[in-house]
Amino acid sequence: MTDERLAAELKDALRSGDASAAVTAARKALEAQADPLDLIRNVLVPTLTEVGKQFQEFEIFLPELMAAGDAAKAATVILEQAIAAAGKASSSLGTVVLGTVQNDVHDIGKNIVSTLLSSHGFRVVDIGRDVAPSAFLEAARREKAEIVAMSALMTTTRPAAQSTIRLFEEVEARDDFKIIVGGGSIDAAWAKAIGADGYAPDAASAVDLCRRLVGR
Amino acid sequence: MLSNWQTEIVKRSEIGPYLPEAEFERALTRLVPELVRKHGIHYDPQVLIPSDDDMADRLYQAGMDLFLEMGAYNMSTERRILFSRGEVEEAVAAAPSAVRLGEGKDAVVMCWRGVESQVPCVVHSGPTGTPCSERYHPLILQSCAQEPLVDCLGAGSVSTYMGRPIIPGSPLEILGVQRDAAAAREAARRAGRPGIHINDVASPLTCAGKMAALHPAWGLRRSDALLVSQLPELKTNYDQLSRAAYLQAAGVHIVDLMTPLVGGLGGGAAGTAVVTVACHLLGVMLYSPSYHIYGHMHLLESTDTDRMGLWVYAVGGQALARNTPLLTTTAVYTQAGLGTEEVLWEIAAGTLAGTVAGMHHNGVGATGGSTPDHTSGLEQRFYAQVAHASLGVSRQTANGLVLEILRHYEGSHKDPPPGVPFPQLYEIETLEPLGPWLDLHQRVLDELAAMGLDVHGAWRKVRRERGL
Repeated sequence: MTDERLAAELKDALRSGDASAAVTAARKALEAQADPLDLIRNVLVPTLTEVGKQFQEFEIFLPELMAAGDAAKAATVILEQAIAAAGKASSSLGTVVLGTVQNDVHDIGKNIVSTLLSSHGFRVVDIGRDVAPSAFLEAARREKAEIVAMSALMTTTRPAAQSTIRLFEEVEARDDFKIIVGGGSIDAAWAKAIGADGYAPDAASAVDLCRRLVGR
Repeated sequence: MLSNWQTEIVKRSEIGPYLPEAEFERALTRLVPELVRKHGIHYDPQVLIPSDDDMADRLYQAGMDLFLEMGAYNMSTERRILFSRGEVEEAVAAAPSAVRLGEGKDAVVMCWRGVESQVPCVVHSGPTGTPCSERYHPLILQSCAQEPLVDCLGAGSVSTYMGRPIIPGSPLEILGVQRDAAAAREAARRAGRPGIHINDVASPLTCAGKMAALHPAWGLRRSDALLVSQLPELKTNYDQLSRAAYLQAAGVHIVDLMTPLVGGLGGGAAGTAVVTVACHLLGVMLYSPSYHIYGHMHLLESTDTDRMGLWVYAVGGQALARNTPLLTTTAVYTQAGLGTEEVLWEIAAGTLAGTVAGMHHNGVGATGGSTPDHTSGLEQRFYAQVAHASLGVSRQTANGLVLEILRHYEGSHKDPPPGVPFPQLYEIETLEPLGPWLDLHQRVLDELAAMGLDVHGAWRKVRRERGL
């Protein structure tokens, strides 16, 4: 069990988006013999879930969400090192390769999804914006991803999500990955029509969807 | 002072300070709240149209400080393009305070208006940011062009060409753009307004696609305009700068499109207002536009008619009107769908806030621009009627009106009525609005008139003054 005072210190650092304080609090907790996996599951993830809900309700805004995400990422590095040193398996829920589809340069929505997935225990490989179908495929294979997540804001770019899925089918890699889509131009009907494994209307739903897809 | 900054901008793009994009964003998120505090910018959800001149001036200074400190981020080179205060102030002072849009009898002059101004707004329409189907796009365009109170037409966007999805950068993009430009020109001719200003063809994503809209016979001309975009926040790239370079040399009007996100990197309403002012300065320095589109948007809902969105219009518009000669325009993005009472109330709120703040108007996007064919001429007529009725209204009166108008749609803002598309609201053979849509329009007009807005008479006065 983690000392409640130290857990509260880590929570406060995460909520206030103070990466340096989060690292200090994580180190102090480890020195006090806290289980790093317990810290991730019972302090980091619930705190960031709460921050994500506040963002979804517009009680806080993107800068606060980004700062909390950065703080969580910094603390996770320390905690993962401790897990590895103890010879235990990583706490990651799975790897998500994430990008904005070809020709689409809008990435704020994708970045929010990246922050929330990371802070919920996924390993996120963000391959950026304007990503070619072949680049999604190459990254998914290289990173041994469980999930490929594509975002498209523009109506004129959403066909690229379909082209990407087609490429995965063509090279017989479709069954190796779960493929999900989201973004302003995409809805559930389009996701179904192009054969995606899931659709998320917002960042919080993307986290729920990914958890369902990896069975966690 | 330079009339063409392009070579200097490229030079600064190549030798300006290198900064990874993520670090630029984080620096912006730290600086904006500092400026909000330093300049005392306060958002009050009960005062959506503040009458505080001093705060408007402080907001302008905050936006100037932000732009001078951050500069413009060139995503192509990952470097900041920096300017001195003197350079920015000179360029702003030299920016156009009046532009002639369109040609012949259909031309209009868009000029600086000022806060609480009696100077009539120029009202653009068209399927603003809302995609259209191939089938209804020409009819929607004509329904807008034939509205006498609509001064300028947007060509909008269609995402297919002969039933095939348009792939950006492919020949279908070029063909689709040419079809859309020709459709807008033809709609103008059919409406008896061949010289009406056409403000953009929104289908293309590439520079080549954008330029394919230009043709003196069937496409866009020098009296028309194409948009050059900023990326949120305070970002550009060589693709956008190349568009500006070509359009400047060709003598086509440039429109500076910005989409600051409320709740995004600038934070809440106050921070986004600061970012929006800075975006206008970026537009002046990088694109030399004829006018700007003040296109801020709620990060999660793609609308600008919530309380924060209305406040950002009102306070930012005043900051720009009081401190610059710049011509800027609203683009009212509603939550509600077309054919609903709520969509009209949302339009009324956005139009009122923008008009008293000194702005012109660039069009309405129902359903936040997400649902195809949610545009028609009638709500654009309503947009103009409210704009003209808002001339000379004091900010204090406008604030009371906006709060009253909000009561008609705020409750359903999170779960808005979806509405229906164009073919369910218009007789598509005659292009006349159908009875229920006309009745709704009339009812909301009457309710606005009962609140004290001269929606029935003001537009007549404007027409007389323009000699029409």
